[in-house]
Order: sequence, then C-alpha cells, then structure tokens
Amino acid sequence: MLLEMDSITKSYGLVTANRNVSFNLRKGEVHALIGENGAGKTTLMRILYGMESPTSGHIKINGQPVVFHDPTDAIKHKIGMVHQHFMLFPAFSIAENIVIGREPKKSMMFDRKKAIEETISISEKYNMPVDPKKKVADCSLGMQQRVEILKVLHQGAEIIILDEPTGVLTPLEVKELLASIKSLAAQGKSFIIISHKLSEIMEVSDRITVLRDGVVTGTVNAGETNEEQLSRMMVGRELVKLERSTLETGKPVIDVSGVSIKGNKAKPLLDRISFQVREGEIVGVAGISGNGQSELLQAISGLMAIDEGTIVIQDQNVTGASVKQIRDSGLAHIPEDRYLWGVSKEATVSDNGIMGHLASTSKRGILNRKAIRTLVSEWVDRFAIKTGSLNTKAQYLSGGNLQKLIVAREIAQQSPFLIAAEPTRGVDVGAMEIIHGELLKRREERAAILLVSSELTEIMKLADRILVMYEGKIVGELDAATATEEQISLLMAGGKAVG
Amino acid sequence: MDKLKDTLQALIQPLLAIVAGLLVGAIAILLVGGDVLETYREMWKGAFGNFFFLTNTLARATPIILVGLGVALAFRAGFFNMGAEGQMVLGALSAALTALYIPGPGLIKMLAAIIAAIIVAGLWSAFAGWLDSRFGMNLLITTLLLNYIATLFAGYMVAYPFKDRTGSSALSQTQMIDASAMFPKLFQGMTVHLGFVIAIVLALGMHLFMKHTTKGYEIRMMGGNPLFASYGGVNRGKLMIISMFVSGAIAGLAGASEVLGTQYRFLDGSLTAANYAWSGIMATLLANSNPIGTAFAALLLSALQTGGMGMERNTDVPLEISSIIQAVLILFISAKITISFIKRKKAGAKDGSAV
Repeated sequence: MLLEMDSITKSYGLVTANRNVSFNLRKGEVHALIGENGAGKTTLMRILYGMESPTSGHIKINGQPVVFHDPTDAIKHKIGMVHQHFMLFPAFSIAENIVIGREPKKSMMFDRKKAIEETISISEKYNMPVDPKKKVADCSLGMQQRVEILKVLHQGAEIIILDEPTGVLTPLEVKELLASIKSLAAQGKSFIIISHKLSEIMEVSDRITVLRDGVVTGTVNAGETNEEQLSRMMVGRELVKLERSTLETGKPVIDVSGVSIKGNKAKPLLDRISFQVREGEIVGVAGISGNGQSELLQAISGLMAIDEGTIVIQDQNVTGASVKQIRDSGLAHIPEDRYLWGVSKEATVSDNGIMGHLASTSKRGILNRKAIRTLVSEWVDRFAIKTGSLNTKAQYLSGGNLQKLIVAREIAQQSPFLIAAEPTRGVDVGAMEIIHGELLKRREERAAILLVSSELTEIMKLADRILVMYEGKIVGELDAATATEEQISLLMAGGKAVG
Repeated sequence: MDKLKDTLQALIQPLLAIVAGLLVGAIAILLVGGDVLETYREMWKGAFGNFFFLTNTLARATPIILVGLGVALAFRAGFFNMGAEGQMVLGALSAALTALYIPGPGLIKMLAAIIAAIIVAGLWSAFAGWLDSRFGMNLLITTLLLNYIATLFAGYMVAYPFKDRTGSSALSQTQMIDASAMFPKLFQGMTVHLGFVIAIVLALGMHLFMKHTTKGYEIRMMGGNPLFASYGGVNRGKLMIISMFVSGAIAGLAGASEVLGTQYRFLDGSLTAANYAWSGIMATLLANSNPIGTAFAALLLSALQTGGMGMERNTDVPLEISSIIQAVLILFISAKITISFIKRKKAGAKDGSAV
C-alpha cells in the first residue's frame, strides 16, 4: 500500500471534523473522496498535506510511519496538492511558476533557459502541452490548472491531491483534465480527488471513499456502484427525484431589450442583450464565468448602470431605477456570490434574513422582533438550516446553510420575477435538492425565473429555455428539452451553433 | 449563549488594552523613579477620589461621550468621519453666537443655541458625505481637511467680527452668554452639568435606535457589508448623507454643551487643545462603535486625564504618564483593527472551499 491513513481523528474543541477515519491509496490509483460540505474531506487532506496535525491516528507511506509538521515535509515525501484556488503568480511565466521552489540555477542566478527546458521536458513526458513563456495571467483557468499539476509533478510528487479540480473549468477542459488524470495514473502516479460532482468521479476514479459528518460511510469500487448509491451514502437517506411538469407559459414578466454596458475595455461587457422571461418559465443562462453574466444580473437588479437599452419588469420601465424601486416592481434575487452580495457575515441570521423584508417586519420604522423571529424561524425549519440560534452570526454558518438562508429569504418575497444566480454553488447534495425543489415550486406558482449557472447539469435539469452567453453576447438560444450538452458546450466556448 | 459569548469577547480586548496600558505606564513610572502603586493610587484619587473629582471627571467626559457617539454612528455605517473636531468647533461657535444674539428668555436662547449647533455641524458633516456620494471624494480625507477650514474659520470669527471687546482680555473669544441660557449644574458647586445627562440619554437612545429601528438596521448592514446593503435596496448615498448629518449634529451638540455648560462663550482653541474630538474617536474605536461602550470608554479616557492631573499634583510623576497609557491604548486599538482585517482576509480566502 502506497499510503495509509489509520484511524485519523481531528477535533477542534468540541467539534470533531474527522472521527477514526481510515483511508488508503494504491500506486497508480485514482481514489475519490466525496461527501457533503462539512463532512471532513478537506480536513483529512490538510492533515495529509501537513497543514494540520491529527489529534490521534497515524500516516504511513510505503509502510513507514511518517509525521508531517508542514507542507514541506509532505512534499519531501512526494505528496503534492493542487488547491481549489490556484496558487500561481499571475505576473510570471508558466515555466517560472512550474519550477518555483526548485529553480535551476547558474552559479547564483536563476537559469531561465534551463527552466524552460525543464518545463518542456516535463510537459512532454506527461503529455500535457503548455507554452512555457506565456504569462499565467493570460492563461485560461484550464491551462492554469494544468500548470498547477505540472508544478506538483516537477516537485517530484507521486501522490497528487486535487481539491475540487473541476469547479472552474469548462466542460471541454473537464474532459481534458479527466483524460490527463487517467494517463498520469497509467504512468504510476496516484491521485486523491475531492469532489462534489458524482458523474466526474464515476468516470475517473477506481475507488471512492464517502465521508459523512466526519466518519467514513464506506469505500467502494467505482465499477460496483452508481450515483444513487453514492448520494445515499453521502446524505444518509434517499433523494427525491425532481418532477417537472409541463406548464403553459404566460405573459412576459421581464423584458430586457438591447442592453449594453461598454466598460473600459475594447470589448463591451454586455453587447445588445435582449430576452424575455415569461410567467411559469425558467430561463437558464449558460456560459463560462466571466462572459457577462455577472454584469447582466447587476444591470437587471439596478446595481450597475447600463449604457443602452431598456429593462421592463411587470410592465414597469425600470431602466436606471434604484435597487429599491426595482425590487418593489417585483424582483427577488439570489446573488451569485453569497459572501460578496448575499450576507453581512458579522450580522446575525435574523438580521441577514430580513433584508428586503423590512416592510413586513416593522411598523413605523420600529422593528418587530416577534414578527422577525416567526418569519426567520419558519425558514430555518422549512429549509433545514443548521444554525445555533437566530442570533448566531452568519459567518459561523457553513456555506450550504448560508445559501439556504439566502434562498429562503428571496423565495419568501413571492415576487413575480426571481433571479437565481449560482443557486447551488458549493452546496451539498441535500441542500441542492431542497433549493431545486423550491425553484421548481416557484415555477409552478407561475413566477418567472432567470437561472444563471456555470453548472450545465443544473441548467439542463431546471430550465425550459437556455440562453448561452459568450463575451457579453447571447450567442444562442436553445430549447432545454432538445438541447444536448455538446451543443451548449460548443456555444459556451464561442463556437457556432450546430443543428 | 452566543450573545453572552459575543459580549464577553467584545469586552476582553478593551480590558486587555487597559491592563497593558497600565503595565506600560508602570514601567514608565519606574523609569522616572516613581512608586507605581502610590502613583496609581493618586491617579485613582484624582479621577474618582471624592465627589468633586468624580463630578469633574464626568464633566470632562461629557464632550468626549457626545463626540464619540456621533463618530460611532458614522462608523457603524462604515463611514469614517474624521471631522468631529471641525464639526464640534462649528457647533460650539454657532451655539455661542446664537445664545448671544437671539433675543428672548434664557430657555429660548439655550434651545436655539442647541438647534443652531446641531444644524450647522450637521450640514458641515453632511457636506463631506455629499462630496463622497456625489463626486466620489474620499470621506476620510475630506472630513480630515474640513477640520482645518472649520477651526480656522471659527478662529477668524472670534478674532475679528465677533471678538469680545468689552473686557480687558486680548483673547480671541466671544462675549459671555447670558446666565439664564447656561446649562444648569447638576450639583451645587460642581462642574458637571446638564450636558452629561443629555450624553447619557443619547447613548441609551442610540443603543435602542441601532437595535430596534429599520434605519438603525440599514446603518448596521451598510457598515457590515455595503454590497449586501445595496443589493438589498439600501441607498448608500442617501444613507451616507443622513448618517453623516446626524453624526456631525451630535459632534455639534458636544460643542454646544461645552459652550452652554462649561465655558459660557466660544474661546478659540479651547476645544481643540483639550483634544475632545480625538478622545471621542478613540473612545468609539475602543468600544467598537457600541454606543454604551463608547460612553464607558469616554469615561475611562476622561479619568485618565483628570487622574493624571491629580497624580501630578501629589507626586513627582509628570502628567505625560497619562499620555503614555493612552498611547498604548491606541496601539492596542490599531492592533485590533489590523487583526480583524487579517482575519477577514483569511476568511475571504477560505470562502467557498469544501470543508
């Protein structure tokens, strides 16, 4: 056995992140580690990478017990980790980033030529082509990830930990990454992959270990399991299959026409965007992040000024109106970045809950504490939000629970138009199920929903129509019933629609 | 449970700062050859030793509490109002001139003086808020610079047009206001006056306002995460102008209270030399913008000063020891700000990662 983690327990005060977790890895194996948020995956990997020390338990490599005090120790034992947020220097070239920490030297000086040679040779050896002189800032996220993996390989890693490796990648890049992982494994490298995405896990891994509440619920061979079984092991219960009825759509609730934002770059941020969302309809906006989706949402909700075009909600022209006016005209908004827009971390759960609900929770400017308690605790129950109390600060809630609070708050507006931006980003399967169910319920209640997501599967599952954005433009509109993932991926990457 | 923990945590840091301040002060006392216990005993006596000293400390705390409350309101909304000094000075000047030149009975003069101080200082402060929300001029810088304009303008006013030419003194000051317009003293022969009661009532009122009103809620949310507040429909520009107005108005009230309760005239430099405004800002920072905490912190800072004076009277240790203790307090406050900044950055990096 290449790596054995034996009965690892890690406690932080009263909280136990890992309890008697045993995990092992064979040479040349891809071993996935899955579980809901807060299940203890990242803690386990931080222990393996020397960033945390276990409260009890041991780690053995090739049968030899080892103790890591910091990541340097782990790297010495040929363990490498690619973090979810890349740790690259954007201003430096690919070659410089890859050799960092083990720079080739000519006498006292950095030997750039040698660095480039080393980069070329390692990229050829593992069949992961890169342009060594290109600046990392100019690389796509997929390329940056490749650089991260090559960096780890250059450090001589035999065991590579990938934390949520596909979160930011395009579908095409995901395919390439999975292929690279398989080929590296065939050359004897071993992988531990932390992920939420069951389909990718099923495709790439040999074995899968599931964690729930800090405990291993099982280790299975990928060939002998399926996504349903894995979900059950993660969540601890059966998941309900979502039912989507066919609905007759009504009149348009929002009408966006010819909206442009010039921005200060050569290309406009938004380029003549026009679309409608009707009653009882979910319109999905697909696209790789950074192609104008954020700007579109901010333009609609009044957080960003537009240069051209009009926006009409419920027959009211809200072009250039204030956020409050737009909300009053019938908008609720699940923001794409919950920490940036969606909450005040220092404020309590109930304070975060009543944003936008002041009219119903106050009288003549005085907050009605009782009404607030009733309102927010109802959401806590319905959405199974795990929180100490309503006075707990938002920062102490896990990402998934915070997201549920935001979704509950916005859905409770019962507004005719709802923006749902990345409604399930970083939340676990159980929370995702609840959120998807609530969105579909709003659709049944004849709300118009604009769903923006970088998860294609989410869009395909929920949307009636799909708009694809690329470089600030809508480059395609597809009927969700007939659209294929390939079609959308191609449009997302800037290709022309086929068929 | 959470609440209790939060309150305790909020208390730990100011207490640590005070302890550290006293320890460093002790070292300084030893260095100048003083007796630490004796010195601190004299300091305590000077601040709280008898009824006269106690009320004197309260009187000195009054403007600091008021300024602190004004600043706290703006800080809570995330607006760094550094202009308390100028706002206070303009408030004091307006109060003095109004009390001098408005005809009528004393009570009318007093109320008119207070209202004038509130309006002038409030508008002066709101002007900085307007410059920020309308033209994006950095509030921290404009409020700082407006201090100079305000204090120099007030100095000019009392050096020339409104200078007191009745007496023999050559000071830049207004005439003395009518005795009937003065704030009554709370106790016969003691310095503490009505202003202290106003300050305490205001501290309680602001505490309730922040906790129980929708405007208070909007201010707290704007201070916690301005993007969240804007997303929820709070109008930043409007809130900025309103909260800057109120913040300045309270600082102006501090000025009025000094004129009506202690000095009975506007004397150039008397408010700036006593550092009331900056002590108020310190009190706010020490109390993390909590209104009631601000009142206590202001009391502490005032006690350091009055206690220091008592100490200087009765020992060989100089008054500067008080300044050293204050300096350590400031160091701790800035350390607190830095730590929370680092924590926030770290938390930011962790966001969205799988745990």
